[in-house]
Amino acid sequence: MPLLLENLTKHYAAPDGTAMTVLDVPHFELADGEHVALLGGSGTGKTTLLHSIAGIVRPDGGRVIFRSGQGETDVAALPEADRDGFRGQHIGYIFQTHHLLPGFTALENVLLGLTFTGRKADPAWARHLLTEVGLGDRLDYKPAKLSVGQQQRVAVARALANRPKLVLADEPTGALDPQTAQQVLELIRTLCREVNASLILVTHDMNIAGQLERVVRLDELNRRGQAAVGSGQ
Amino acid sequence: MNLFQLILKQIRQRSLSTVLTVLSIALGVGLAISILVLQRESQNLFGQTEYGYEVLAGVKGSGLQLTVNTVYGIDQSPGNVKYEVYEKLTKDRVFRQDARIVIPQCVGDTYKGRPIVGTIPQFFGYDNDAQRIENVEGEPARRFEYRPGRSFEFEQGTVFREDRFEAVIGSDVPRLAGLKLGDAFQATHGSPTAGAPADVHEEKWKVVGVLKPTRTAADKCVYIGLTSFYTIFEHADAELARDKIRRGENPATRNVRKEEAHDHDHADHDHAGHDHAGHDHADEHNHEHRHAHYTITADGRIKLDQDVLDAREVSAILIKARGGFNALNLINNLNLQPDVMAVSPATVMREFFGNFVKGPSTLLLIIAALVIVVASIGILTTIYNSVAARSHEIAVLRALGATRNRILTLITAEAILLGVIGGAIGFVLGHLLAAAGSAYLERAFGEPIAWTRVSGPELLCLAGTVILAFLAGLVPAIKAYSTPVATNLSGA
Repeated sequence: MPLLLENLTKHYAAPDGTAMTVLDVPHFELADGEHVALLGGSGTGKTTLLHSIAGIVRPDGGRVIFRSGQGETDVAALPEADRDGFRGQHIGYIFQTHHLLPGFTALENVLLGLTFTGRKADPAWARHLLTEVGLGDRLDYKPAKLSVGQQQRVAVARALANRPKLVLADEPTGALDPQTAQQVLELIRTLCREVNASLILVTHDMNIAGQLERVVRLDELNRRGQAAVGSGQ
Repeated sequence: MNLFQLILKQIRQRSLSTVLTVLSIALGVGLAISILVLQRESQNLFGQTEYGYEVLAGVKGSGLQLTVNTVYGIDQSPGNVKYEVYEKLTKDRVFRQDARIVIPQCVGDTYKGRPIVGTIPQFFGYDNDAQRIENVEGEPARRFEYRPGRSFEFEQGTVFREDRFEAVIGSDVPRLAGLKLGDAFQATHGSPTAGAPADVHEEKWKVVGVLKPTRTAADKCVYIGLTSFYTIFEHADAELARDKIRRGENPATRNVRKEEAHDHDHADHDHAGHDHAGHDHADEHNHEHRHAHYTITADGRIKLDQDVLDAREVSAILIKARGGFNALNLINNLNLQPDVMAVSPATVMREFFGNFVKGPSTLLLIIAALVIVVASIGILTTIYNSVAARSHEIAVLRALGATRNRILTLITAEAILLGVIGGAIGFVLGHLLAAAGSAYLERAFGEPIAWTRVSGPELLCLAGTVILAFLAGLVPAIKAYSTPVATNLSGA
C-alpha cells in the first residue's frame, strides 16, 4: 500500500501561547513494500510524523494518502474513530520502548494486536510470529520475565499480528545494545517482507539506517520552524 | 482475544480490589434482598386476610396480645373471660345467627416449654364422640379450619375425649419435647424461667393423637381437653377466687370439699402424682374418685364440681362466622358484653404489621440501599483508580486500534460485570439470610416463610444495582475515553 504525504503540518502551542510548528512536510512518498529509514535526532518531529501517519493525531494541514486497489484513503481527513479503525487494520506500530501490557503473556500481547481489527483471533499466527522472533518457548511468559530485547521482539511480533500494509517503527532499537538492535532490525525486516508490508523506521543510528533501502534525513524532510502560523495553535 | 476476555484479564490483574468491591456489592444486595424477602413474607405471615376464623374473642385489653398469643402461641395470654361468653355464643340466638363454629381455648401451662392448650374436639374437626365431622358438598364447611381450606389431620392416633386426661400433640412436639403416642406427661404451670423451680401439676395426661404438620404454631402445641384443663387444682382455685371477687366475696375463704360422694375414705389419700391416664378407674374400683375440684366417674370421665363449673373461664374463643357481615355483627355485639373484647385477627395483624414491622423494615431497606450506593462508589473508586493507573495501557490499546467507544465499552462493561457478579452473589446471600430468618420465624411463630420465592422488587433491586454499577463505571470510562493517546504513549 503506497503512502503519500502532501503538505503535512502540525503545530503545538508554546508555553508563551504562540504556535510552534513541529511538522511541515511538503512531500513524501513510500512505495509498496519499500523499507525506508528516517534519520534524525531527538526534537526533529519524528514521533509526531509517525503519529500523524498512523492517525493517532490529526495533522493541522495536508494529506496522508494511502493508495490501494480500492482507491485512496486520506487518513488525515477521517474522523477519529475511523482513523483508529484504519490503524488497527492496516498499520503496525513499534514503539521505542515495548509498551507491552504487564498483566498479559507474550502470546496474549501479540493477540492484542488483533483484538481491535475486527478480524478473528488467530493464535496460530501469533505463535508463528513469536516463534519467528525466537520466543516460541516463551509464549506464556509475562513481560517482566523477559529481557529488554525479548520484550522488544514481542512488540515486533505484536505490530505484525494484524498483517499490516505499513509498519511504523519509532526508534525500535534505541534502547537495545548493538547486537540485540541488529537482531531486532533483521526480525522487523524479515517479518515485513513476510507480510509484504512497507516500513518506515525512525532512527538516529546511521548504521541501522544504512541497512534499509532508502534513507531520508528528517531535517531535510521536515521544514519545521520555517513557517509562522497564527497564535494559539 | 475478544473484549470479554480482555475485561476478565483486566479484572484478574486487580483481583484483591475486585474481590473486595464485589464483596461490598454482594453484602449490600444481600442485605436488601433479605429485607425485601422478610418484609414480603412477614406481611404474608402476619397480614393474612383470613385465619380460618374471622373473630377472636377474649378479655378486654390488647387485641394484639390476644391475637399473637392465640394464633402464634407467643406472648402471655391477656387474661380470661367467663365460660358463659362461650356458652352464649353457642346458645344465644343473637350470636348463633352469626357464628357457625365456636372454639374455646384455655392457655397458661406448658410441657417442656411447649404451650398446653385446653380446647374441644371440634377444634380438630371431631365431635364429642370423637367422630370426624364431615363437610357437605355445596354447603359451608362444618369442620373447623385452622387456615382457609385446611383442617387438622392425624398422623397417629386420634382426637382426645374432652372429659378425659387425654392429649393431642402437634407434629413438632415429639422432636421438641420428646413426647410420643402413648406417653404420659404432667403439665407445668406457666412458663418457668431457666433455673427457677417448676410448678408441676399433679394430673397426668396420656398422648392419644399426633397431628400431621400444619406449618403453623399448632405444630408446637400440646392440646388437652377443656374439661381436663379445669381439673388442675391451681386453675380451678384461681378461677374460683376470681369468681368470688366478681361476686364481691372474700376469695380467701376456701371451699369445703365434700367427700360424701366417695364410697371410701380418701382423707389420707395422697393425690400427688395420681395417674389417671395410666390406669383405668372403672376396671380397678368401679367407683368414683373424689379430687379437690372434680370427680372421676366409674367410667373414667371427669366430672367437675358445680362451683368449678360455675367459675370456668376461657382464654380465647375462635369464631368462624357465617359471613363477612356476620363477623362484623359478632365483633360489635361481643364488644358490647362486659369484659369481652372481640377482634378480627387479620385486621389486628395487618395493623400491627403496618405500625410496627413495616416502618423498621423500610428503614432497614433504606440502609441496604445506601450500602449498595456505597458499594457502587466502591466500584467507581476501584475502576477510577485502575483507569488512572492504566492510562498508559489504555493509550497502547488505542494505538493498537481501539476506538474511544471501545475503551468506553471496555471500562463500563467491567463495572457492569462487577455489578452483575456482586448482585448475583448478593441475591443468593439474601435468600440464604432469608432462609435463616425463616428458620427463626418457624421457631418463634411455628410458621416458616417462602424464602425461595422471587418477587418483582428483588429483580428491580438487582437491575438497580447493575445500573448503579454502570453509572459508577461511566465516570472512569469517560476519563479513559478522553485519555490523550500521544501524551500517554510518549510519557511512558
